[in-house]
Amino acid sequence: MRRLTTLLILLAFAAWPQAYASRAESGYGEGLSAEQGGATEPLVIIVNRSNPVENLSFAELRAIFLGGRSHWTNGRRITLVMREPGEPERKTVLRDVCGMDEDQLKIHFLRGLYTGDILLSPKILATPTGVRKFIFNVPGAIGYLRASDVDSTVKVVRIDGLGPADKGYKLHIQFTTFN
Amino acid sequence: MLKSAFHGRSANSPPFLDRVLSAASRQNTGVLMLIVFCGVAVVGVFVIRDLQSASAEAQKMYSGSVHGLQQIGELQYYAQETRRATLYALTTSDSNLQVEYADQSRDADQRVTDGIAEYDRQAKTPAGVTLANRLAHDWKDYLNVRDEVLASILEGSTKEAVGLDLSGGVPAFELVRQDLNEVKRLYDEDASQRLANLVASSRRSSWRLVEILGFTFLLSCGAVWTIQRSRMLSAIQLAKLQMEFVASVSHELRTPLAVLSSAADNIADGLIEEKGALRKYGVILQKQSRNMGKLVDQILLFASTEDHKNRYMLRPIQVAPIIDSILNGTEALVQGAGFQVDRDIDPDLPFVLGDVSGISQCLENLIGNAVKYGGEDRRIVIRASVAPLERESGREVRISVADRGIGIDPYELTRIFDPFYRSPRVAAAQIHGTGLGLSLAKRIADAMGGKLSVVSELSLGSTFTLHLQIAKGETMQTAGTTSRPALSLRP
Repeated sequence: MRRLTTLLILLAFAAWPQAYASRAESGYGEGLSAEQGGATEPLVIIVNRSNPVENLSFAELRAIFLGGRSHWTNGRRITLVMREPGEPERKTVLRDVCGMDEDQLKIHFLRGLYTGDILLSPKILATPTGVRKFIFNVPGAIGYLRASDVDSTVKVVRIDGLGPADKGYKLHIQFTTFN
Repeated sequence: MLKSAFHGRSANSPPFLDRVLSAASRQNTGVLMLIVFCGVAVVGVFVIRDLQSASAEAQKMYSGSVHGLQQIGELQYYAQETRRATLYALTTSDSNLQVEYADQSRDADQRVTDGIAEYDRQAKTPAGVTLANRLAHDWKDYLNVRDEVLASILEGSTKEAVGLDLSGGVPAFELVRQDLNEVKRLYDEDASQRLANLVASSRRSSWRLVEILGFTFLLSCGAVWTIQRSRMLSAIQLAKLQMEFVASVSHELRTPLAVLSSAADNIADGLIEEKGALRKYGVILQKQSRNMGKLVDQILLFASTEDHKNRYMLRPIQVAPIIDSILNGTEALVQGAGFQVDRDIDPDLPFVLGDVSGISQCLENLIGNAVKYGGEDRRIVIRASVAPLERESGREVRISVADRGIGIDPYELTRIFDPFYRSPRVAAAQIHGTGLGLSLAKRIADAMGGKLSVVSELSLGSTFTLHLQIAKGETMQTAGTTSRPALSLRP
């Protein structure tokens, strides 16, 4: 009975990522209706200032945020920092980077931790200041913030060679405004 | 004949202290108070300097030791807080709380770092500088370990964090703790030293304060005693002088009175009957009565000058005729005493501002003194010349009367013009006089706008000089004529 339950859970984990990916591509759960106006602000990826990384490809970023990559090139362990569920920054990362919703991400990490593919679950912080201070204190930490929340205590990483102000930068937070 | 204050050191001359006190009484009682003030001021300056030094030492003690110990206490507290906040982060798995603890730890470590830098800036001794450097180094080592521990805690690697803290954090923090204790020990030593300095300075100030009070008290007692004694001496001296004056006047009057009485008795008893003898007695009576009259005139004149009012009508007058007149008047006296007078009058003397009777009286007294104290040389020199003023521009006429007699003791030179003063040496030699002659001559000279000066050397003689103003408009004019209009200086 116990083996059967485990098998069912593993099958469910194997089937869900494809479903979430297709939903993400179609703006699942997070798209803006035609009646709603939108404003955007760049979402920046930040690391500790001692981290030698300057640029990440989007694929590397996705691998890091999904726990597929556990160490930096200098050997430091990667510690993923995320905001609490429901925050616009987290929604943007889930949608644009992970391609998942909250439940899918939760299951993804549960499965990774269970199988040993993922070493650490993401650290959840309540405020942008907390994120910034956490990354400041942990050399291997990586997280995200709105561009306006960034200061000199952390380092902004370019994505696919593009900075937040560059055209073609992929990560933008969309705010809903009602007309 | 009147007599002035003359001459020489007597066997019973006043003690040195009394002479000093007498001088202080007459001229410089204020000097004693000045000396007291100066003495008190000098000691007071030392006391004030000590008090300022003690105050500065106390301030240094507070800022350098008490305040320093307070800073060290704060350093120790914040160092513990740095470590405590780090360890608190171990007690929770909530990342938000862990970040807060990390923040507290960093805030505390910044205070410690600033405190160590401040201590390094204030360190002056080599031991202090070395300790400051060692403390900064040890603190930096601990912070490196602390950062790793914090990172491990935040990453969620609690076991790793504990291992790091035990292997590196504890020993590093122990070194910091020892360094801080050493800093505190140095501050304690410094505070003890400064406290000892402060105590010594306060004790020194107290002693100096006692000294200044004692010194002031003694000086005040000395000044009061000096003033009282000098006043007493002056009173005694005045009484003595007045007694001597009375005795002198009585003696001066007794001689002519005896002559008068004897002559009158002889005539009354019919012992003198011849006309020639009667005429001779008449001359004697006339001469003695004139001497008595002169003596009384001198006394009355002195009494009249006692109020120092100017009683003379000053006018331009010629000096040479006055001198000649005086020499004629005193010829009998001078020749009777066997003296020779040398007359040396500048032929181009200008008119002087003076009074004929005053100048005559003054010079008669000087010549009388020269005869009285002229010694065995029996030679008097009278000179009159024009000379420059001593302390201002212009010129004056000087009439000097010089003798080669017994001279005046230097210490008596300041007293010979005092009324009634007679030198003990002269009194012992039974040279008669009233002690009014020089005093009277000086007052006359002053009343005419001139002055009377003396230069004397013991056993070599004395020279008295009457200084007279040259009449205005007469500076370059010679005394070719005597018919000058009177010039009154008084309304």
